[in-house]
Order: sequence, then structure tokens, then C-alpha cells
Amino acid sequence: MDFVSKRNWFFLLSFLIILPGVVFLVPPGGLKAGIDFTGGSSIMLQFSMPVDSEDLRLELTDFGETDAVVQSMGDDTFFVRTKELPQERKNALVDLLKARLSPDGVEVLSFDLVSPLIARETVFAAFWAVLAAAVGIYLYLWWAFRTVPSPFRYGTAAIIALLHDTMVVVGIFAILGQLLDTEVNTMFLIALLTVIGYSVNDTIVIFDRIRENILLYPNRDLATVANLSISESLGRSLNTSLTLLFTLLALLLFGGQTIRVFLWVLLIGVIVGTYSSIGIATQVLIVWEYGDLKKLWRKIRRTPATAPEAS
Amino acid sequence: MRRHIRTLVVIAVLTATAVLTLAFQTIKLGNFERGGDTILGLTLGLDLQGGIDLRYKAALKDPNTGESIPPTKDQMTALLKTIERRVDSGGLGRPNIQILGEDRLLVQLPGVSDPERAKSIIGETARLEWKHRTFNVDRDLAGISGDNVLSVDVVDLQPPTTSTIELPGVTDTAAATSTATSTPATAASTPSVLEEPPTELPGMLIEFTEEAAVEFVEVVERLAESIRLAPGATALYPGYLSIGVEGETSTPLRVPYFELGIFAEIGQIVPLGGDPNIQRVEGTNSFTVSLAGAVGGGAIADMAAAEERFGGSPVLTFREELGKVDEDVGLTGDDLARAYAGQRSGTGLPIINVEFNSEGTRKFAELTSRIAGTPDVLAIFLDDEELLAPGVSQAIRGGAAFIEGRDFTFERVRDISLLLESGRLPVPIELIRERDVDAILGADSLARSVAAGLVGLGLVLLFMVVYYRAPGVVAAVALVIYASLVLAVFKLFPVTLELSGVAAAILSIGMAVDANILIFERMKEELRAGRTLLSSINIGFNRAWPAIRDSNVSTLITCAILFWFADTLDASIVQGFAFTLAIGVSLSMFSAITVSRTLLRILAATRLSRRLGLFVPAGAGDLPKQQPQLGAV
Repeated sequence: MDFVSKRNWFFLLSFLIILPGVVFLVPPGGLKAGIDFTGGSSIMLQFSMPVDSEDLRLELTDFGETDAVVQSMGDDTFFVRTKELPQERKNALVDLLKARLSPDGVEVLSFDLVSPLIARETVFAAFWAVLAAAVGIYLYLWWAFRTVPSPFRYGTAAIIALLHDTMVVVGIFAILGQLLDTEVNTMFLIALLTVIGYSVNDTIVIFDRIRENILLYPNRDLATVANLSISESLGRSLNTSLTLLFTLLALLLFGGQTIRVFLWVLLIGVIVGTYSSIGIATQVLIVWEYGDLKKLWRKIRRTPATAPEAS
Repeated sequence: MRRHIRTLVVIAVLTATAVLTLAFQTIKLGNFERGGDTILGLTLGLDLQGGIDLRYKAALKDPNTGESIPPTKDQMTALLKTIERRVDSGGLGRPNIQILGEDRLLVQLPGVSDPERAKSIIGETARLEWKHRTFNVDRDLAGISGDNVLSVDVVDLQPPTTSTIELPGVTDTAAATSTATSTPATAASTPSVLEEPPTELPGMLIEFTEEAAVEFVEVVERLAESIRLAPGATALYPGYLSIGVEGETSTPLRVPYFELGIFAEIGQIVPLGGDPNIQRVEGTNSFTVSLAGAVGGGAIADMAAAEERFGGSPVLTFREELGKVDEDVGLTGDDLARAYAGQRSGTGLPIINVEFNSEGTRKFAELTSRIAGTPDVLAIFLDDEELLAPGVSQAIRGGAAFIEGRDFTFERVRDISLLLESGRLPVPIELIRERDVDAILGADSLARSVAAGLVGLGLVLLFMVVYYRAPGVVAAVALVIYASLVLAVFKLFPVTLELSGVAAAILSIGMAVDANILIFERMKEELRAGRTLLSSINIGFNRAWPAIRDSNVSTLITCAILFWFADTLDASIVQGFAFTLAIGVSLSMFSAITVSRTLLRILAATRLSRRLGLFVPAGAGDLPKQQPQLGAV
């Protein structure tokens, strides 16, 4: 199969996926920060009868507090954290809960503003940590691919694929945030780290095959070798991502509500990570090898220059 | 083959250990204690397991008026940070701490089995003070001199003139330790023993002027205070009233508040109780001073001697000898940057490291340079309770010091370090509410997720077996072994498992599965190329190895960098993720390389190896004709 000649289609596809994400991401508050990062209101509620915490969660979602964190403190008492609730909205919520869950009454034991659980600095810290890790990966791959020509390209390509995957996931959540009010929380951060780990892992497997084939067939050009390597490792790529998708789908379908965001990020991440190893990482190697960018640059420069001559 | 059997035994032993580790809820081997009543006895974070919910309120008071004042936002943030660090170093797991409203703090701790310890580690109001302690300070009593004394009479104090003032906690020890001397009090308190009370108890009756009496009362109170063992203190430094006669050269009489004895075994001074040596005669400005209770060979036992020394209304001189003076030098918890337990390099003995901030460094340097070379010591108080009183060998100007002690244990230095740290609470707090609380992700929701996860994992194993056949079975066994090893390591460390850890575990299981798939795909290629089973296994492994190595090593590098960065930047979620992922990935390499390979090789040596079809994925009809040597066996 010829994957390499279709590289521009891969790039176009990725561009089309990432572009709307970026458009949604750029305006302030593009990515909706959840209460872990913003803080909000906390209410301690005591119902006059035992209430199931899953029911309470559903009612809160109905009320529009999709991000609410519910912790039971016994059968009838709950500690709930939500976005910042104005007094009237809190009253409306209490009335709703009273009507739906506990007709005999609900007592509000406390109602306060709470500070963020995760400091803004933690998010930046995570960002810097990932950046440093990317440098580490880059250097290691440079070293690991020292037996083939231009070893530094592999690390660069892997990092580009990693960036691509991160942008797809973040972009999709920016879109979901704008359209469905999906918020990012601590779970999102953790899942993103996991996706980054998977992305690198998957890219390396393909690159390893390329490394092996280059040494095996020193006279073939990179495009042929890359095509061969992708075809050879396709079975493995599909099987590995399928096994992960099985698990994630099982969790999404039958698991609890509270880790949905986490699972969606992983699910998208696994698909994108598998795709990007073939569609981005490998293609970046090809683009670099055949000087696509230089050609493109020359074309752009020449077009306006030649245009007047033609007329 | 022999070698494989040996590896198999190692794997079996490791697996059995892991399974046993998980099978017992709690493990106890001497000091080593792990497990609890959680699932498989794993240590779970607050998001996966319930815990304790503590609410604190800032109790900031104006030092002058005693009125409560609201804390500032910065103070609350600093408070939050301090408690976070304290909970962390106390090994209580990663807490959830949020500021509630303006002056309250929400602290949730995961699965704390000992809430009292948790509360003591968080600490409440704590004021840390470092003072300069000087011993045996002699001081003039300006307001009390011969001029203020109206009359001096030598009297017999037997029977006691006034009622005894009971000092709680003192008489008991006195009764227990008064082996040397028998006192009127011990005799009186044990009426069954008909001991003859001393016939004479020589004393003085001194009448002061109104003002002098007021000051003398203060002196007596100080004397009384000095023989009370302060909370936290280990030794008594009694004060004395020394009474002399003007113009006389003989040693003045030194009178402590109570008669004192020396507890010979530990060389400590203990008060013997009984009647106080100095008492006020109710409603007057007169005081009785027992001459029999004086120390240092100066005690006067009979009336005749008393008359000889103090008879005839002499002009008396008074001085006060303070056992110890703790001078406030303004060095407090605010000046301390950090305190932590450590080991002295070289000797390895437990020590407490302290570091001061710039202001503290200056004060500490001044304090230590004054103390160094004198018998004086540093006295460290937490909420007026004596914590430690170390000596100082030299002036410390660098702002960092360590404290060592003969009786220090690693546990003690850790606790004291925590207490020193607690003195740095920027705002005193008080506990207002305490409750048990459910996991953040909801116990019910999590139970369903665990079940779903198991179903998913089951599907993966099923897929492996159906698609890869015999090697798939091997992979399934290897994965189960892998899972039990990972969980056992988590339990033994113990790793506090949070959602971030579970995410890392999912990723590492994914990588373990991937490693197996990589190997089997390569094996399949080799089999198709017409190689024998055993050489296909060997070559398959060798071909797959660089990919497994590079992806795992790069993951390990990522973990190390994430861990280090997160540690420096204080992002504990990222740290937890990196740590669990590192454990998972290391074990996954072991699982793929050692467990899968050994099991496959052993399988290849059995009769099953004749059926090559078992080793090739389903639908692989393009297998070449079986090799003659295989058919000939």
C-alpha cells in the first residue's frame, strides 16, 4: 500500500480537524475550565430521607451542573461542589432537589464559595514538565536512531506527532466546551498525559520498523521503506489500538458516570495517536527527506513572480 | 530447557508472592505493615476511596484586645499551602484542601484510619517561639529590702499556721520519691503511720510594708512556679529566695518553695511536697518562712539555732535566685523557613534540620552567638509547651542548623520536625466539623467502572486467545501475572493509587499488551517465512525487542522528567502519574520479555508444538508446508 504519496491528504485531514479546534480555542475561555481549576460553590445538604448519590448526580446534571462533584457523607447528607452559584440559583436547585428527591425537606447545612482545588500553577507546572519530557524523548530518539541517516529527524517527527495529538484532543474539548459546555478538569489533565505517553509509544513502534528496514534494504529510498514499514506494522497497530478501544468502550458503556471525560479523552487519544504515527510522524520524515517544504516555498515565491510575466 | 525451567520457577515464586500479598488484606512483618480494609488492601487516594472531611476555621485574634479579626486572602492561601505540605510529609496521602468562604478551610484526607493522628499532624493553633534560656540568675529585689520590713520574729511553725496550698501533680511525685527525708506532710497524709512529728519547726515571721508585700507575693509565685514541671519540660530548675543579714558575711539562707530532694537515680531535683516553705498569713502583710526547708546545708533544724541566726530583729537582705530565665528574643515560627528530619552524615544518627528565612537567620545568628560558649541553651516552645532545649556549641550565622540528641529516634525527629513546621501556621485554626466522606468519584460509580474495566480486560484477553491462539493464551497468562505483580508492588511500596495512577496503569497494561502483540506479529512473519517454531520464537523476540526497548525507555525517561519537574514545581498529580507509570512500564518489560518468552519456549518444547496452526493467528491460511524436520519428530 502506498501511504506516502497520500501525505498531503493526511496533512489536510489533520488540518481540518485541528483548525476548528484552534478557532474555538483562541477566544478567551475557549477551553472551559472546570471547578477543579476555578473553584465555585460548595453546599452541604441534608435530606430528610436517604438519597442515592447517583440520583443526586443526575438531578444536578439536569439542572445544568454537569461538572458537579458529589460526595456522600452518610445516607442523607451530601457535600456538593458546583460552579459558582448565585443565591437565587442555589435556592432554585434546593427547591428542585426537594421536589424530586426528598419531598419532606432538604436542609442546607452550609453554603460557601470554595477556592480552586488545583492551583493555576499546577497546570503550568504540568505544561513545563511535558515540555521538558519532550526534550528528553527527542534526545533519546536521536541517540536510538543513530544507526540510520539523519537520526535527529525521528525525534522531531515524534514530537510533532505528539503536538498534533495534543492539539486534536484539546481542540475537540474546546469545541465541546463551546457547544455542550463540557468542562476540563483534573481528569482531563491526567488523561492528556496518558495520551501523550501513548502517542510517543505508538510512533516509536513504526519508527523502529523503518529503522530496521533501512538497515535491511540500504538501497531503497525512504518512501519505499516507509510504505513497507507501515504495511508490515499495520496488523500490530490495529490490534493494539483495538484492544485499548475495547477496554475504553466497555468502561464508557458500563462504567460509572464520574470518569466519562477521562475516558473520552483516552478514546480520542488512542485513535488519534494511532493515526498520527502513520499519518503525521512518518509523513514528516518523508517531507523532510524530499524537501517538500522547500519545493512548496519556491512554488509560493515563484507564482507571484511569474504571474506578471505571463500577463 | 533447564534454564527455562529455572526462570519459570522464579516467575512462579514472584507470582505466588504477589498473589499472597494481595490475598491477605493486611500484611504485618515486624515493623512492616501494609494493607487495610480497602480493595485488595491497596492504598487509595481520595478520588477513589472515601476518607475524612475536616473543616477548620481561622482563629486569628488581635493580641491586644483579644477580638477575632478576619484573615487576609494571602494568609488563607499560605495556610492552605502549609497544611498541604504537612499532610504530605506526614504520609497521609494527597489531601484535598480548599478555602471555604473567607475564613474556613476544607481538608479531606483519604481513608485515614487514625483521625486523631491526622488531626494532630494538621495541628491547630500553634505558636512556635525560640528563647534564650539562662540558668541560675541572681537578681536584686529592688522593692524588698530591710527598709520595707516592719518586723522580724523567730517563731516555731509547728503546728502549721495556715492551710496547705495543694499543688496539683507535685505532692504525688513527692510522696513517691521522698525516700530520704520524712516530712510533716507525708506523715500527715498517711495517718495510719503514727510517726512522731518533729517537735520544733523553726521559722521566721516577717512583716512587710503594703507595697513590699505585693512584690513579695510575686516572688513567692515565681518560686512556686519554678518547681512545677512545665508541660514538655524534662528537668526542674527551682528558684530560691536567699535571705541574709545585712553586715554579716555568712552564706545567705536559700529557701525554695518546697523542700527539695534529689532523685538520686536520675540526678533530678524533685520537690518533696508538704507545706510550702513560704506562706502568707491570711489577711496580713506577714509571711512565714520555714528555716528548716532551706537548702545547701543552710537548713536550721531547731529553735535555738534559729534564734542565734535571726533573733533580735536584724536587718534582712533579700535576693531572688531564678533557676532559669527564658528570655524572649522575638524569634518565632514566622522566622523559620523549614524544618525536616534527617540523618547526620557520618554517624547516621537522626537529626532535625532547621532553616531560617533571612530575618530568622539574622535573629538566630545573634541568639546563637550570645549562647555559644556559655552554659545557656536555646529553649523551643510550641504553644508555651517546651519542645526541646538544645545547647549551642558555636554561633550559627548561615541560617541553617541541625539539632541532635542522645535520645532521638527517627520517629521522634520526624514528629518534632512536624511540630516545628506546625509552628509556622500563618494563621491559628480550630476544628469546627469532622465527618466521614465518600470518594470524590463516588463509590457506586467507581464500583461500576471497576466491573466494566474487568469486562474490558476480559475482552482483550479473549481477543488475544481467539486471534493469536496458543501465544494468545501465553499472553493472557503473562498479563494476569503482570497485573498481580503491579498491584502487589503498589501495595507493598505503598503507592497511593489515585485516578492518575489508574490512568498510568491502563497505559502500562496497554503497553504490555502491545509488547506481546509486537512479538507475536513478528513470530507470525517468521513462521510464514518457513522457520521452525523455536527459531521463530527467538527471532520474533529479537526483532520485536528494539521497538519494545525504545518505547519503554522513552516512557521511562518521560516518567523521570515528569516526576522531577512535578516535584520541583509542586504538581503532585503529575508526580503520581509519573511514578505509577514508571513502575508499570518497568514491570511490563519484564512481563513481555521474561514471562511471555519463557512460557512460549516451554510450550514449543511440548507436543503442542507439532500443531503449528496453533501458533499462527486465525485465518492465516498462507502458512507454508510444514518443515520436514518437524514432521519427522
